[in-house]
Amino acid sequence: MSIGSEARIQTIVPPRARPLEAGSRVEWVLMHIAFVVITVFFLAPFVWLFTAAFDAQAQAYIRWPSQPTLDNFVQIFEKYAFATALGNSVFVAVSTMVLTVVVVALAGYSLSRIELRQKAWITYAILLLQTMPLSATMVPIYGLARELGLRNSYLGLILVHAAIELPFLVWLMKGFFDSVPRHLEEAAWLDGRSKLRALFEIVLPVARPGIAVAAGLSFLSAWAEVLMVLILVDQQNMKTIPLAFYETFRTAGGYTEVQYGLVAAMAVLYVLPVMAVFFATRRLMVRGLMNSTRGL
Amino acid sequence: MTAVGAGAIRPRSAVSSSALRRNSAYLLGLSPAALLLTLFFVGPSIWAVYTSFTNKALVGIDAARPRFVGLDNYQRLLSDPDFATVLLNSVVFVVGSAVIGQFVLGLLLALLLDHSERRRYRFATVAYAAVLLAWVNPTVIAGFLWVAMYDFYYGSLNTGLALLGLGPVDWLGRFPMLAVIIGNVWRGTAFTMLIFLGALKTIPSDIYEAARVDGANSWRRFWDHTLPSLRPIAALALLSITMSTFGTFILIQTLTNGGPGSQTEVIALYAFHEAFRSYQIGYGSTIAVVMLLLNVAFAVVYLRWSRARA
Amino acid sequence: MEERKISVLSRRAFLQAMAATGVVVACGTSPSTTPSGSAKPATLSGTVTVSYPDELGAKPKYVEKAAADLKAKYSGVDVKIDLQKIASGDYYTKLLLALSGGGDVPDVIHVGGDRIGELADAGYIEPLDKYVSQWDDWKNYPQAVKDGVSYQGKVWAIPYGLDMRWLYIRRDAMEKAGLGAEWTPKNVDDILVGAKAVKDKNAAEIPYALYAGVGADTGTANHSFVPLVWAYGGDILDKSSGKWIGDSPAVRKALDYYQRAYSGGLSPKEILTTTKPWTSMREKEGKGQLALLFEGGWVYGGWQTANKAETEKNVHYVLHPTLSAGPSFTIGGPGTVWYVTAKSKNKDAAWAFIAQWNNKDTVAKLNIEDPHPVARSDSADVAEFKAQPYLVDSTKALEKARFIPTDANYGKVIGAIQKATGRVAAGEMSPDDAAKRYTDDLKQAIGADKVITQQ
Repeated sequence: MSIGSEARIQTIVPPRARPLEAGSRVEWVLMHIAFVVITVFFLAPFVWLFTAAFDAQAQAYIRWPSQPTLDNFVQIFEKYAFATALGNSVFVAVSTMVLTVVVVALAGYSLSRIELRQKAWITYAILLLQTMPLSATMVPIYGLARELGLRNSYLGLILVHAAIELPFLVWLMKGFFDSVPRHLEEAAWLDGRSKLRALFEIVLPVARPGIAVAAGLSFLSAWAEVLMVLILVDQQNMKTIPLAFYETFRTAGGYTEVQYGLVAAMAVLYVLPVMAVFFATRRLMVRGLMNSTRGL
Repeated sequence: MTAVGAGAIRPRSAVSSSALRRNSAYLLGLSPAALLLTLFFVGPSIWAVYTSFTNKALVGIDAARPRFVGLDNYQRLLSDPDFATVLLNSVVFVVGSAVIGQFVLGLLLALLLDHSERRRYRFATVAYAAVLLAWVNPTVIAGFLWVAMYDFYYGSLNTGLALLGLGPVDWLGRFPMLAVIIGNVWRGTAFTMLIFLGALKTIPSDIYEAARVDGANSWRRFWDHTLPSLRPIAALALLSITMSTFGTFILIQTLTNGGPGSQTEVIALYAFHEAFRSYQIGYGSTIAVVMLLLNVAFAVVYLRWSRARA
Repeated sequence: MEERKISVLSRRAFLQAMAATGVVVACGTSPSTTPSGSAKPATLSGTVTVSYPDELGAKPKYVEKAAADLKAKYSGVDVKIDLQKIASGDYYTKLLLALSGGGDVPDVIHVGGDRIGELADAGYIEPLDKYVSQWDDWKNYPQAVKDGVSYQGKVWAIPYGLDMRWLYIRRDAMEKAGLGAEWTPKNVDDILVGAKAVKDKNAAEIPYALYAGVGADTGTANHSFVPLVWAYGGDILDKSSGKWIGDSPAVRKALDYYQRAYSGGLSPKEILTTTKPWTSMREKEGKGQLALLFEGGWVYGGWQTANKAETEKNVHYVLHPTLSAGPSFTIGGPGTVWYVTAKSKNKDAAWAFIAQWNNKDTVAKLNIEDPHPVARSDSADVAEFKAQPYLVDSTKALEKARFIPTDANYGKVIGAIQKATGRVAAGEMSPDDAAKRYTDDLKQAIGADKVITQQ
């Protein structure tokens, strides 16, 4: 709190030249052993996924495909309407992301700047909302969605998906804006800009890493959410990938078989886009996340 | 009379109206979020609190005629022998998964990567990417991937053991809690790692320089300078992952569904099971409300503690 | 556009079916020969929404056919089909959410017959007595089947394929175990003797799958615990008082059986933790990796489709043994059934759909594809059905079936059964302690006044 605004803005963008130090040979070996262990632990489950998806006789363990095939992928598109689910997921997740970013940017900024005595408590109360278990709110949310005509509708999915991560992201964005010095926007007001314009032209560019985090996290959450989709969507042409995946996992193969190949193929196509999006934006997102706890 | 009255309140009114004018734009800015939060969090939460005082069910006679039952559900929960079990399971799961797992492992990974950067070890990037990959994939997938690892007959782990000539291990049967903790740590560690990495990068290097001039060795430096400067963020990260771990259940549901017996039945899963397997919405809401109260208690303790330090 | 396509397709399917089965089909579905159809053709109009889940892929064509036939019969009726390709448990949860709130609900729903009591008590479904009393076809349903869909003296649902279970024994496994390919248990405890022999002689084979805990869902009760309690001479529900039986000698013996099966390593602990243990156990039995399994009659069809010759050669199916005798009884249930919802605004048309769907031919055909004994006995006369010896055996076995209770609390009791069996199987509790705890769980779930114990 005592640190001046100048100092705080610097901590958001930390291009600090760090002293390079040469390590010993022993250190090199130990560190690289650690890297290998970490990499194996975190990647091993994926190896199974990517081998099973291309295996006509996939099993629940890692093995090289004895009959490499693309048949699993063909099947999920032909029999399980995967293209529809993919399209729905992309549309819903991207729309959720856009809506969330706008809402939390406005809310985070406003909460940061508003003058209220109980602000700290309100901020924490918002965060606590997030901890209300979904199992207790599913029934009322179902009823609400039905009353408002939000079942089997894209708008419903987008609103609910946007709401799910909202408390945490509002809280996060407030922290970001707290660390943006007020004199920047105050100067803009004096130039005659409205508060909204000042926010978009002056404040948001400074808080870009924060926006990236909100965008990334809301996309990931909308891409992953399954329970709400399960109760909100009945129509086959409305379902998103997580629901398609969940259904295939629970029903493919009828009474007597588990079709690991199909499930794995679906999972591959489910995780690839998030990996791609994440790696495309990782620098911005990671920088944002790294700074997400500044000024809270 | 009117004039006097108006004159008397004018100064106060001016102050409050100018405060309102200054804040009105912000209130407007908060309104979309407030609307969504009211619709999907506040409203449903109030509904859940109310429902916890009723015997509402989705099937049977209680579905036709729900009644207000006062504190019956709360009394039932306190006398429910399973409640102690699931509470204890939750504590073990949260301590193992959030505190020891994600927090400690996340910190170690961050230190390792930060150190590697200084040493310019290129391979660190691969390890870093692997950790992030586990984090970005959806929970349903994470559960499924670990099912494939642990499966007794065909799972990757036992297939690997067989190559070494070792017998199969019933991972989910013999070490169910450890198994779900490992799955959750695998998925969630990246978040803490990133936060610590960010914190490490903001430690001014002159602290290190000063320490070096003083002749302090690496350990001393770490102990005296690095750790203390991480403390405020560590506390915050701990609060955040503790609360989210306390409420998580989809991974456990996919992996063990609370079994064997009730060995991995954590409170969040218990609430889900009561509400959507037994369809006892009133009782399920009671469990959820108790969870919320526990979270509030935890947050208050945390706030007191962090204020006391500040 | 969409609708026309469906009706053309199903009409073609209908014609093909007629060509294939000749007279039988023509008689079964021709509107002019159905008395109830000609009785009040002009009175029906409006839209009927039919909601049903499907996992296997066999049902949709029959639902579409019934819809097309109904629309052909009554020009004023439109049928809206709401097919949900999700697991039946998930479908049920969503259905309850829809039924419990205000607003529109489907007119016709399709869920397990074991839910009759709890749905009726909740006021979600409509009694069908006034319809079945005028329905000629009702006479083809045996009394036991009618009882299976009756609750508190009323008929609530129409079944098409019944549930029954077999004890499946792999002949190749028993041969290797040194007991001979045609081995059958002499009594209920002998199942474990057979399993032990398999375990001793062939370490690679899973001896026996006895469902326990929550993962196996209703299978824990219907495929394992309940038949065991019956085998040991007890019951789970006291018929005379209508109260559920907690701790009793038979319950203790059944739980002791669980302990022997699990502590002896005869039944895999995987059952306690896997999400779909029944699927993997069925798969293993079919592939010869599991020797003994008491399971639904319908799973045999899956094995047959995968490998007919091998299945017929190696999968032996017998009834459940008792305390003192070999294969002697099975456990039956009404299967998945059709209900009319209480909130339906078009109940007559909803009923007309159900009556249309449950015709002799559809019941026979669907039960061949998704093998269950037929609910209406005249369907057993259809030639293709008769050509399936396994289905004929299953239908005959129903004479020895005891049906699961239709009581409203059965769902909650299953929850208590899952806990009790899970605790014993996981080694958390002794059978006696678990039996005592079972009483407590029952009392907590359904009320102390509805539970009795026996010494």
